[in-house]
Amino acid sequence: MKNNRFVYFVLLPIFLLLAVFFVLPIAGGLAISFFDYNPLRAINHFIGFENFGKLMSDKIFLKSTTNTLVFVGITVTLNIFITLVLAQLISMLPWPKFRSFFRVIFFMPCVAPLIASSVVWGGLYATKYGLINNMLKTFFGISPVNWLGTASYVMPAIIIFTLWADIGYNIILFSAGMDGIPTDFYEAAEIDGAGMVKKFFYITLPLLGRTVSFVVAMTIISHFQMFAQFQVLAKLGGPENSGNVLTYYIYKTAFQTKDMGYASAIAVVLFVLIMIVTIIQQRLNRVEWGY
Amino acid sequence: MASNSRKYYKLYVVIAVILMVFALLIIAPYIWMMLTSFKSTREVLYNPGKVMPIKWTLSGYLTVLTKSPFFSWFKNSVIVSVTVTAAVIFTSTITGYVFSKYRFKGKNFLFWLVLSTMMVPSQITMIPRFLIINQVGLYNSLQALIIPAIVSGFGIYLCRQFCDEIPDSLCEAAKLDGAGDFRIYASIILPQLRPCIAALAIFTFLDIWNDYLNPLIMLSTLKSMTLPLALTYFSDAHSTDISAVMAASALIMLPVTILLLCFQKQFIKGVAISGMK
Repeated sequence: MKNNRFVYFVLLPIFLLLAVFFVLPIAGGLAISFFDYNPLRAINHFIGFENFGKLMSDKIFLKSTTNTLVFVGITVTLNIFITLVLAQLISMLPWPKFRSFFRVIFFMPCVAPLIASSVVWGGLYATKYGLINNMLKTFFGISPVNWLGTASYVMPAIIIFTLWADIGYNIILFSAGMDGIPTDFYEAAEIDGAGMVKKFFYITLPLLGRTVSFVVAMTIISHFQMFAQFQVLAKLGGPENSGNVLTYYIYKTAFQTKDMGYASAIAVVLFVLIMIVTIIQQRLNRVEWGY
Repeated sequence: MASNSRKYYKLYVVIAVILMVFALLIIAPYIWMMLTSFKSTREVLYNPGKVMPIKWTLSGYLTVLTKSPFFSWFKNSVIVSVTVTAAVIFTSTITGYVFSKYRFKGKNFLFWLVLSTMMVPSQITMIPRFLIINQVGLYNSLQALIIPAIVSGFGIYLCRQFCDEIPDSLCEAAKLDGAGDFRIYASIILPQLRPCIAALAIFTFLDIWNDYLNPLIMLSTLKSMTLPLALTYFSDAHSTDISAVMAASALIMLPVTILLLCFQKQFIKGVAISGMK
């Protein structure tokens, strides 16, 4: 249809908002990274690539980048493995009531504010009164561990929390994908004598290919941007910056140190990391799957 | 795979038990939070081995409700979430409709622009957005959270996909009958988009209700805060009062969890819809 008046009438305010709150900030974010920008100062100098050069010798930045990559790598791998197995187990159950019961239970942490869950888990991890230390003491006689105050335990603690908080989405996405696979495939495989494991690897997984590649990419992208649990569980970056990640470092540099130019340069690095994932995912998705 | 249920009966029971164990691991933090919220802080600290409260008390909840502006926080959260959700549904459906059913110059470019807003991480845009909000005098107001969230790239994208499935002939016929553009949107497109709107509403509401980073940047005074941000301030200020911190967490988690339990079908369908498109 054509009606330019109506089209303009709708799109004008929409794109005005997009321009002010998305397009301008994207351009602004890139631009500020070339300035020594502090909002409290009257004059802010253009310094070219100096912020980016500084990154290379910034120990906290390098540590945060490594932490981010370790966090994303381990959490996403475990997440995908656990969610595939759980989704498969759920969809094998012949009782629909049970299937939806389990999906809802696993989804519960996804609706709770991440920050509130983090605060509760801060209590679970507490050295003296936390449930986890109590369980370990009762069942294994292990003396209390200071989970969030020990450099080598902070990241594992946050990874376990994040798995708890975030597996629900992927279980549902994989379940939806699995429900879409025609049952004839499984029946045919059964006649050929294929067992559970073979059916999973030769039918479910290949036919789920596109869903898996999409879910993996989305999970990676969202995990790169996680913030709340790091602020709560790794207070101020954790001991020896063991829990410092890019998002937290960006926030701290921009809004506490007020060094917004430098913070924008770190954000650009994060942006590039995320772009790489997006591009790889789109390449992979060009392969057409069908059934 | 549900065939031969009798043959595999034992296997199904084993699977159900395994899933039950995992489900218990998911639930345990909730149970611990609830039980702790009904203990006195003394009891939490000096009797950590006991899971059940020796003496049930509401003192944690009383601390939250009397020593913090909890109702203001709750009201702020409701105002922001409801306004943004309503606004996003309106802007997404009408823009999705325009992109799907109208031809105009620059359509592909503009749609590409909408898509590209989805791909940029908020960390890039958050600093300039803060500067803009500050510049127009909206810092520390709820509008700072509402106005930038009115338009959603994801919402427009999702609604366009759904509008594409509505036959063009339906709109053309209405047009011949003399219906105006807005009339077609309101009486033909909107009713057809119901499942899409439900999914979008759930996601937008949850996103905004649970948002922490934006309020952290945009709000500064205790009374103007939304619940997620207020919780960290509360737990920092009362870090030794564990039962009060758990009570506050419970008060924040429970509304959305109850919402999920009431509308489970819509939630699960919503996730599946938005993930598959």
